[in-house]
Amino acid sequence: MSTPVVEETGRRRRTPPPPPPPKESGLVVSSALTVIALVCLWLVVHLLVLGTLSHDRAQSLLRGELRQQLAAATAPVGPTIEPGDPVAFVDIPALDVDEVVVEGTAAGDLFAGPGHRRDTVLPGQVGSSTVYGRSTTYGAPFRHLADLGVGDVVKVTMAQGEITFHVISVRRDGDRLPQPAAAGAARLTLVTAAGKGRFGDLMPGGTVYVDAEAAQGFPSPGGYSPVVPESEEAMKSGTEALPLLTLWLALLIVLVVATILARQRWTRGQVWVVAVAPLLAMSWLVTDTAMRLLPNLI
Amino acid sequence: MSRRRSALVGAAVAGVLSFALLTPGSGTAVAQTADSAPVRASAPAKDGFRTTKSIDRTFVNDAQGTPVTRGSYDLTVSADHTTDLRGRERVKVSWTGAPPSGGRASNPFGENGMWQEYPVVVMQCRGTDNPSLPAAQRLRPETCWTSTYGQRSQIAESPNNALWTADRYATAADKEQLSGVDKLPADACKNAVQDGLLTHLTPFVTAAGKTYYACDASSMPPEAAVGAAFPPSEIAAFSDGDGNGSVDFEVRSSTENESLGCKRGVACSIVVIPIAGLSCGAPADGTLGPLDRACRKFGAFESGTSNFARDGVDAAVAPSLWWSPSNWRNRVSIPISFGLPPGACDVLDPRAPVGFSGSELMAQAALQWAPAYCLNKKRFKFQLNQMPDQTGWNLMQTGESPAAFVSAPHEATGPDPVGYAPTAVTGFSIGYVVDRPDNAGEATNLRLNARLIAKLLSQSYPGSSLGTGHEGLAENPWSIQADPEFIKLNPGLSRRATEAGATLLSLSNSSDIIGQLTEYLAQDADARAFLAGKADPWGMKVNPSYKGISIPTAEWPLLDTFEPKTQEPCRIANPGVYLSQIAAPVTTLRKVADALIDSWPNVQTRCEGDLTSPSGWKVGRVERQSYGARFLLGIVSLGDADRYGLRSAALRTSGGSYVAPSSASLAKAIGVARQKKGDKLGPFAMSQKTLVAAKGAYPGTQVVYTVARTHGMDKADARTVGAFIRIATSEGQRIGRGNGELPEGYLPLRKTGATAALWRAAQDAATAIEAQKAAGTKGPGGGSDKAPDPSSGSPGDTPPAADPAKGGPAAPPSPAADEVVTAETEAASSTTALSMLPALLVIGLVAAIASLVTRLGATWRRRS
Repeated sequence: MSTPVVEETGRRRRTPPPPPPPKESGLVVSSALTVIALVCLWLVVHLLVLGTLSHDRAQSLLRGELRQQLAAATAPVGPTIEPGDPVAFVDIPALDVDEVVVEGTAAGDLFAGPGHRRDTVLPGQVGSSTVYGRSTTYGAPFRHLADLGVGDVVKVTMAQGEITFHVISVRRDGDRLPQPAAAGAARLTLVTAAGKGRFGDLMPGGTVYVDAEAAQGFPSPGGYSPVVPESEEAMKSGTEALPLLTLWLALLIVLVVATILARQRWTRGQVWVVAVAPLLAMSWLVTDTAMRLLPNLI
Repeated sequence: MSRRRSALVGAAVAGVLSFALLTPGSGTAVAQTADSAPVRASAPAKDGFRTTKSIDRTFVNDAQGTPVTRGSYDLTVSADHTTDLRGRERVKVSWTGAPPSGGRASNPFGENGMWQEYPVVVMQCRGTDNPSLPAAQRLRPETCWTSTYGQRSQIAESPNNALWTADRYATAADKEQLSGVDKLPADACKNAVQDGLLTHLTPFVTAAGKTYYACDASSMPPEAAVGAAFPPSEIAAFSDGDGNGSVDFEVRSSTENESLGCKRGVACSIVVIPIAGLSCGAPADGTLGPLDRACRKFGAFESGTSNFARDGVDAAVAPSLWWSPSNWRNRVSIPISFGLPPGACDVLDPRAPVGFSGSELMAQAALQWAPAYCLNKKRFKFQLNQMPDQTGWNLMQTGESPAAFVSAPHEATGPDPVGYAPTAVTGFSIGYVVDRPDNAGEATNLRLNARLIAKLLSQSYPGSSLGTGHEGLAENPWSIQADPEFIKLNPGLSRRATEAGATLLSLSNSSDIIGQLTEYLAQDADARAFLAGKADPWGMKVNPSYKGISIPTAEWPLLDTFEPKTQEPCRIANPGVYLSQIAAPVTTLRKVADALIDSWPNVQTRCEGDLTSPSGWKVGRVERQSYGARFLLGIVSLGDADRYGLRSAALRTSGGSYVAPSSASLAKAIGVARQKKGDKLGPFAMSQKTLVAAKGAYPGTQVVYTVARTHGMDKADARTVGAFIRIATSEGQRIGRGNGELPEGYLPLRKTGATAALWRAAQDAATAIEAQKAAGTKGPGGGSDKAPDPSSGSPGDTPPAADPAKGGPAAPPSPAADEVVTAETEAASSTTALSMLPALLVIGLVAAIASLVTRLGATWRRRS
């Protein structure tokens, strides 16, 4: 009598528990659809709500870091800056935007805030500088960029000082580029995604460019890279995150399987307590990584 | 900074060049008629050095202390120039009356020179030998530079080998077990104190006062590290059988050697110590012991012999004890002074510089001129921005640079007329470092003709067995040393082929120098025929890749594509175009000059194992050539050649004569230069045909012009450029080594004589540039319009303004007159971005509803 019991407990781990409930195709379909719905809605929630949370947190940290660097005069002036490092404050009073610009314009860099394109001078330096920002997701710092008008003020604070730009044009597809800048002038082009029509806010398929100019820029050290990887151009996405995504997904699956197994041994309450936090964190991580595969400006 | 440096070097090379040229016997006899202010003759007389000193070697053999003289010499030491030196400049130090040397080393520099007998040690020391100075400013062995500790310290020698203790002039302190320092720090020099062994240290005291004890490699100054940036310059030089000798001693400024710290305002010396043998004191116990006998040795080598194997030498007559009192007291010290460092203006003058862009030929002149501008508050801050001539010209035409230096006529690239103001007469030369076989010293005269240069430039020498697999090169000599044509011109040199001998180190970018050199090839029928494919009389043929190349050209291309087939695993792992690796042209003449100073070919064919690299192999630059077997050719500016003491080859001209650069041969060349009639602001035509035809004219002569627009320039800029031309052609043409003077390697422009026409043209051009009255052809982008700054180019999605010339007429809506027509925005777009959010929402909602419905349906079905 004793032997079978041992057998029983020894096997429990590997084979699924008692016979599955009677096959009910309706329930299977329903479960599958639930999962699909959950995934889709989770993505939407992540992009619109949770992303904002992480953006705000990143901004708060970056703000402190850059303020400290400015005070210590160690803020970067280019040309080679580690992607993700804060480089400048951009303040657009008309839009109530006050953001820390980070270095780099890959989708992942723009999670934290507007990004400075690495083949241009820093904002405020003599020459043309380009800053990309998201319009819809992750805090959407540049959501209302297209509402700017000629003459509006863009204030930039960077390592070399404060400088005030005035908007000289707002361009969409087909509009002419502004006149070449005068010698010594600093030009700043803000770029974000924009949509058209009633659902434009949710469907940002195009881009809008806002050019601003200051008559006297700070000297630039030169030596900027002539090109950036394709993934850092406007509306582009990269596949660099794929291997990482695979890894995270595998971990997520392991976690899910572990949760299911745990459910068979522990009570529902215990499983909840133990599994919810790791699952949420893992899903967050997976989603963030997956978002790096999407266009960088939305 | 590096531009400044290269400017310095350039000037130095030019100085040295003209020196080599003026030296009797260099080149042909043609060049020595010198009527026009010989560049070299005046300078050494003014700031040279010469002194005579009697030295002797004495032994005290008996207790009474009677000295017995065993050798006495009247040493005369001279140096050719000693003031306003720059880093790496070479000073010719020569002497007569020294003891004849024996056991000669193949490489006498640094510690390699220690295995010799009766050499003359030449080294650079901080301080001067003036008894009236405070001790800190006087030179001592402790302020003399050596690049290894073994040259200055004797560590743990047995009592019988510690010859310095037998020195007649040694003090009691010198005979202690540890001498040279009072006390050693506890944590250093553990090897120096050992029971029963004697040690003498000659510490090195840096300019900042730090003491390095020099008892092992780690207690030496950082500049003495193994594999340091600069090879040793201190030398144990050789005197011939008559006791004569000379060296080109390279001085180091604080830029190269901060520990030594010689710079403007810090007195330094070149110290010449003839090793005549130790003077020995009385034996300690009255009879000659082993130590005393060793001290009284006279050398193991006959005078004039070589000691390539580094066999043991008699320490009593070797250079390693140069600091021993009886050697040190024989020294002759030559006080030297340094000029301003290359970056002086940037430090001393905070004003924004006025950048003159262009030719590197001006580098050495600009180095001396710049302080005369920046230190004078009434003048502007002059700065030479070195770049290819054509680039400088373009910047001048677009107005980004007020003026440019070019050394040939250029075609207008802008609407405004341009005035040419001759500013300097200088040129280029084929610099060389060639050793004669059997340690017979450097070759002092080398002759080249156009065909030999064509062979070198066209990569027609295969270099080594690797290159012989190249189609068409199998029968060619491996390098110029083995070429019968070269051997006939320069008999008595080694015929062993080397890779470095298969090339002429040249410029990779566009330059008026290359333009002129290739024009020299083009005027020569033999060179032309060779490049066209005709074999030379010895059967050598051109590399098929260069066959039919069109010359003259301002930029010499690398056309070969041959990758050798070999079994060497390293070359299989790192395939490369072999002949291009040998040629390896560089971007500035200063780099060529550096290669020649260091005799370090820029040949990139070294291929060896490297465990740290993924492939296990690496390729790179070959080793420095060893002294005695050097062979290296490169294009240098005359300014660099003179400054750094580089020798220049004589080039063939008409009638089979060979002309080397010298003031006379430059003046002859200027004699044939003609300005186009009616074009008073134009360049002087100096075709190679007329140059070669003129007797004694050097074909590498070039006139450097200051070019600036005569219309459309900013008033203040125009005045600045005009002032520069006037100062440069008056005060700037005084020959000398000081600020504002013209260095060697340049022929001064004078109101009278051969250069009178150039001088007048410069004044005319200055007037026209100041006036800005020339009729400009107003065109698009002309006048005050500024071309878009290339550095501010926007990224791909916002292309910068289109070129006005291109976009102007074609663009449909014509905007205001002074506006450029810009391109249209091509906004980036993405369907993913357009549809993603709605799609997610819709799919999510639909799936949710569907799931609800199916679930309800299933529940309902089950219940029923």
